[in-house]
Amino acid sequence: MKQQHYIYLALGIAATILFYVLRVQAYEAIYSVPGFSDQFYNAGLYEMIPLITIAVPWAAAAIYYFVINSVRFDRWYHWLMVGGISTLLTIIIGYSVNHSVFSDMGLSYGAESAAFELANMVWAALMFVIASFAMRWWSTNCRHTPFPQ
Amino acid sequence: MKHLISLLLLGVMTLAVTSCGSSPLDKAIKRVLVQQDTTQAQFDSICSIIQQNPDRYKQYLDQQGQVNVTELQALIDRIGADLRPPIRWDIAPYGQQELSLTIYFERSGSMVPYDNAGDRGQLKKAVNDIINHFPGRKVNINIVNDNIYPYQGSVDQFIQDRNIYASTAGVGNSAFTDFQQIFGAILKAQDATNVSVVVTDLIYSPADATDVSIDKILNEENSLATSIFRQYKGKSVLVHQLMGDYNGKYYPYTNRPVEFRGMRPFYLLVIADTPVMDRMAAQKDYSQLMHPAEARNSYRFNQSEASVDYCVLPDWKDNAGRFRVDHKDATRLTKCEGDKTTGVLCLTIAARLDGLQKDEAFLADARNYKLQSTSGFELSVTPVTPDMITGNNKMYLEGKTHLITLKGKFAGPRDQVSISLPNEMPAWIAQSTSRDDTNTAANGFSTTTLGLKEFLDGIASAFGTGGNYTTITVKLEN
Repeated sequence: MKQQHYIYLALGIAATILFYVLRVQAYEAIYSVPGFSDQFYNAGLYEMIPLITIAVPWAAAAIYYFVINSVRFDRWYHWLMVGGISTLLTIIIGYSVNHSVFSDMGLSYGAESAAFELANMVWAALMFVIASFAMRWWSTNCRHTPFPQ
Repeated sequence: MKHLISLLLLGVMTLAVTSCGSSPLDKAIKRVLVQQDTTQAQFDSICSIIQQNPDRYKQYLDQQGQVNVTELQALIDRIGADLRPPIRWDIAPYGQQELSLTIYFERSGSMVPYDNAGDRGQLKKAVNDIINHFPGRKVNINIVNDNIYPYQGSVDQFIQDRNIYASTAGVGNSAFTDFQQIFGAILKAQDATNVSVVVTDLIYSPADATDVSIDKILNEENSLATSIFRQYKGKSVLVHQLMGDYNGKYYPYTNRPVEFRGMRPFYLLVIADTPVMDRMAAQKDYSQLMHPAEARNSYRFNQSEASVDYCVLPDWKDNAGRFRVDHKDATRLTKCEGDKTTGVLCLTIAARLDGLQKDEAFLADARNYKLQSTSGFELSVTPVTPDMITGNNKMYLEGKTHLITLKGKFAGPRDQVSISLPNEMPAWIAQSTSRDDTNTAANGFSTTTLGLKEFLDGIASAFGTGGNYTTITVKLEN
């Protein structure tokens, strides 16, 4: 295996960790509402939601490249479809967790939570791209997806 | 493949380390703060987490295995400071010693008519309420006039005694009240965990005052108060004025008794070390002592400037224009901008003012606040009512007592708004003072006390009262 593939993997991991470390700034850069953002912060959701936003796309990319790993499913639009499902799944899980935590705290921020998750699509999609470029090199049938090496 | 697995494992471990930093103790404290459930029960549950894991939390235990309140407070402060808005929970009262109460019940001639069998007995009720609602178990009662004499019965007997003046007849000399002797002895005897309450009409009636001018008596009273209290600058005195039925002989300064039937003021003087007074002000358990429901007026001497909990409401119905509360410093507002149409910036501060020991009328009156700002903001004050608190704003409003609204045109680029509550002698003291009490039919006799202002001015002079009760600061930037 080429050394540059390990560099891609290391960069992917580093970018993911950086995203987690700077999660509050990253999220508040794209969505911040008075009241809601403070409660989100106090409830510890800036820890939980980024973990979901990392775990689901990385798992989806791993499933695509190593479990599905099929020549009949190696076109760019197949990859895009998996990315879309991963992003959708991320925001659905994220919204459910957000809603559950806020309900336990007696908070009612349905519209803001939905808007936050829509904004989170940006990070979920980006995370899938990062995960894909970090791990695709080791896939036996899909390493050329979405772009040839 | 080995490299691939190693790198992935490294990534997962790094994420695990950065995401799982807080301990069960940290989580429990954060939960209490976020839910604003800062009660004795929650304090006890946090202590039990520490005591059940002595090895893990040994820095929060002292050598005897008891929770080190100072260390725990530091941890709570750290966690509270990281919340939005920052929250402070003072746990010091939970680890403090129980307070004792000493009642000094004046039994001079002019006090007896406050407790007639046919009247309502407000004076005795007020004293009974203080004893009954005092959280500590140690209560002592003394009878005072020319000196201090221990009450011979039990506390229960005192409470049940329907005619306390009859049962204490013959104790001391009820012909005069020796303020110097009484207050000197009370202040000298008081220890750091004691609260003294003097039940008195605050009428200075020295021996041999016949043919002495009223000015001379009142000047003497003023000097006397200063000379007694100036020796105890670490003490605080809280004066409550109450009204009670009065039926019997009243002794004016000329010492020629006259019959009077009607209402008369009487006073509860709560005396304690300043930290004890601050502690009682912060704890609801002492509300009967600090804010008796029947009190007509109150004022605390030697009240140092207190820092109160406050925060700017980021989302409130009265807000106009735009601003953003800084996440690191909740008193700093950035991106301040007036409303696009009117140019008006309106923001609301939720503050907890109940620890200032001022009555609601005083706190809700915007004229009592001093506002400093270069933008010419106008200030209004509204009490927080339960219907204002919703799930979404609970974090900001829970525990807060007043909403201070600032409205004006922010000129920018910067403004530091300072809202203070000046500590000034209240008007009721002068309004409740008379300089001649010989005519019981005079207008205002039933609501005034001879020489009250002189005596209280003397205390104020001893303590050097002044400054502010509190100051709230908000920094604005655009």
